[in-house]
Amino acid sequence: MTLYEKIMVLYPELTQADFAPFTGCIRLQNDLDGKGDYIAKWEHPTLARPTVEQLA
Amino acid sequence: MTTTINASNSGSGGLVQTADASGILALQTAGTTAVTIDASQNVTLAKGLTVGATAAPTFMAYNNANQSISSATLTKVRFNVEEWDTNNNFDSTTNYRFTPTVAGYYQCSFAFSTEPSSGVITRVFGQFWKNGAEYKFGNDFNGATVTGSEPTGSCLIYCNGSTDYVEIYGYINGGTPVIRGTQASTWFTAFLARSA
Repeated sequence: MTLYEKIMVLYPELTQADFAPFTGCIRLQNDLDGKGDYIAKWEHPTLARPTVEQLA
Repeated sequence: MTTTINASNSGSGGLVQTADASGILALQTAGTTAVTIDASQNVTLAKGLTVGATAAPTFMAYNNANQSISSATLTKVRFNVEEWDTNNNFDSTTNYRFTPTVAGYYQCSFAFSTEPSSGVITRVFGQFWKNGAEYKFGNDFNGATVTGSEPTGSCLIYCNGSTDYVEIYGYINGGTPVIRGTQASTWFTAFLARSA
């Protein structure tokens, strides 16, 4: 399961608009440095940034 | 009339100079003018200018294996094979980035071919990143529901010749995205358009 999919399971109320570049409040990123996908930005007005434990 | 400096091959050869008051200087080899500088300092070359590989870096790299990425996740595009890299300025093994060692303005271009291994794509675009941050965007296919797309981008980017570097990032939303590994459709290239 990808990071995006894990977040959508955790917060099913999120929409694709929340992840949209330029306008969304969440940005997921992968720099091909071996660390995989990560949350580069989380500015959702009501939902808390998921913890490592929640995403495990 | 013209003042000339000639690398002569006539007779015993040597440097032959003629002078007048025209303010025009001609540089000659074997009695033929190669470069003319007029009194206003305009320079005219009789033939083309050849620039060495070290002086004008250029590269072309591509991805030779499919790159699976996550939907809705901005991901660096892998270019792991070089067609050419005249000054060894492109890293095709670790960071997939162009770090030119000659300062100047580089014409950079990219394309990558996408397809979902399942589902459909609703948005796809590519970006130039400079020094680890978003810099310029390529075309953005937003709202269309497709099973494949090939975003491209082209941009003149200044690099300082030491620390500046350029990378390509891609974004695909929808399905289970894949960036195709094909020499013809997933590539990144640049050349020095003008030195600093």
